[in-house]
Amino acid sequence: MGRCLESQRVSFAYEPEAPVLAEADVSVTGGKLLGVIGPNGSGKSTLLRLLCGFLQPVRGAVLLDGRPLSALHNRERARILAFLPQTVAPAFTLTAAEVVILGRYPHLGPLGTPSGRDREIVLRCMRETETEHLRHRDFGTLSGGERQRVLLASILAQEPDLLLLDEPTAALDIHHQAGIFSLLHGLARNGYGVAVVTHDLNVAGQFCDRLVLLSSRARIVAQGTPPEVLTPDLLSEAYESSIVVTEHPITGTPLVWPEPASVREGAP
Amino acid sequence: MKRCRGSLITAGLMVVSVAVVLASIGVGSESIHFGAAWRDWRAGRPLADAPELAILLQHRLPRTLAALLAGGGLALAGCVFQALLRNPLATPYTLGVASAGAFGAYTATVVMRSAGLVLTLGGFSAVQAFAFVFALLDVSLIYLIAVRRHHVSPPVLLLAGITLGMLSNAGMMLVRFLSDPGMLAMMERWLMGGVDIIGYEPVATLAMGVLPCSMVLLLQAAQFDQLGFGAEIAQSRGVNVRRLQTTTFLLGSFLTAVVVSEVGPIGFVGLIVPHAVRSLTGSRHRLLMPLSFLAGGAFLCLCDIFARIVLPGETPIGIITAFVGGPFFLYLLLRRRFGDWEA
Repeated sequence: MGRCLESQRVSFAYEPEAPVLAEADVSVTGGKLLGVIGPNGSGKSTLLRLLCGFLQPVRGAVLLDGRPLSALHNRERARILAFLPQTVAPAFTLTAAEVVILGRYPHLGPLGTPSGRDREIVLRCMRETETEHLRHRDFGTLSGGERQRVLLASILAQEPDLLLLDEPTAALDIHHQAGIFSLLHGLARNGYGVAVVTHDLNVAGQFCDRLVLLSSRARIVAQGTPPEVLTPDLLSEAYESSIVVTEHPITGTPLVWPEPASVREGAP
Repeated sequence: MKRCRGSLITAGLMVVSVAVVLASIGVGSESIHFGAAWRDWRAGRPLADAPELAILLQHRLPRTLAALLAGGGLALAGCVFQALLRNPLATPYTLGVASAGAFGAYTATVVMRSAGLVLTLGGFSAVQAFAFVFALLDVSLIYLIAVRRHHVSPPVLLLAGITLGMLSNAGMMLVRFLSDPGMLAMMERWLMGGVDIIGYEPVATLAMGVLPCSMVLLLQAAQFDQLGFGAEIAQSRGVNVRRLQTTTFLLGSFLTAVVVSEVGPIGFVGLIVPHAVRSLTGSRHRLLMPLSFLAGGAFLCLCDIFARIVLPGETPIGIITAFVGGPFFLYLLLRRRFGDWEA
């Protein structure tokens, strides 16, 4: 049975006069890859932190399989739900394998001593993300793409059912970006519930099962499949500028462009 | 292979520590005939009639134990402050505990002198008592400033600590400026640090301050790994980051306050020992923290041996830790790529 994490009419504000989210209903379910998109400052990261339980909603509730998320103990929650922040900057030198084994924390005893089984899980997760060959490398010397894969392995080692990722591809080239997204897509096919914040609408449109489009006015503009959400009208409303949508020549998924200024001004 | 290396380093360090402890008991201005001392012990002779046994039991053993506890405590506090503040320069004194203690010690002399009071209260000298109280005031102020309901900010902690340290230094200079030069000699000596104690009362005080705090900190080793990796991801994995930061700051500071008030603000141990150990063990705190404690104790014990033999009389140990530790640390910096700290 797949897990379901949902926000019910969740509102949030860091300062009372500036709401970041209002009445947001979003759900992350097992087997689905959910893309969270929207302009800068539209509350994408905030939404993810509410779903993680890091932030408490001002109104509304976040439920995990129908129970309030806040009723779970921290470690219990961590065994179900893993989070990858936008930037991870370790203060110490660690090898890639040491980074991945850190993900076992919620399963370890009070002294945090990993067992042989924990090491097997670490290896399995590194194989799944194709990072096994990097295990003795210093994490700090890995390339951006390798780092993200190792970090992905480390949250998979947590053995969660749900993954929440904040812009995991922000610093990657298009090839590595597609690599990470196809990995996430594969994880969703294997039953994980995945929510990913991204700025790349084309990649989101190609790989995600569902999209949530947020606007800078603290509300959800649209939710649905990529063709339902990635329309010129909805995108223009969310981004407050004219946006053109065409079709991918091979896959037929939506391709999104900002409308060139010359077109808007009526020039040829 | 990794684990095997870990146990090898642990075993090596244990052997070195035992050797240093034995040397520390054996070395001093008086040469001791151990056989005679042993016979006195077997015969149950009172210490007054057995000078060699008295030196061993009342001088050498307590100062060795004091050096182990003080050095171990300072090294462990340095280790956890480096993780807490995510900063390689952090020491047990970064948050101003030593400066506040020194300010307290100076104040004690002046107050006691002008009030015409004695300079000892029970087992503590007034200098130690004042140093401890001032250090705790420093810690409480920083707590009020930096620890908030939802989170603790390491930069605020750092800035508050440095500011209070400067304020304490200014206060200390004011007291020096106002006080009688004759009184200062005693203070100066306290500032240079020393484990030249007699009897077991100071050892008991150190043990009561250092051991419980160290125990609690050591039990949180796995959480320091997570905190060093990143506060947010640590939280997502079930670490109560705010609680960890608060307990670390309070226990580390309390431990430091106890050590500083007993043996003076001995420098360097809390900075270089964790780094030296980290260069051997890597950054896994389960290994790094207990080994830092062990190595810190052995290092201070070694410095105390030097303090007893390099110059006639007792050389202040703070001078020795810097002269022994400084060059060694510079060598470490020269030898290896300093990629350990990327934050």
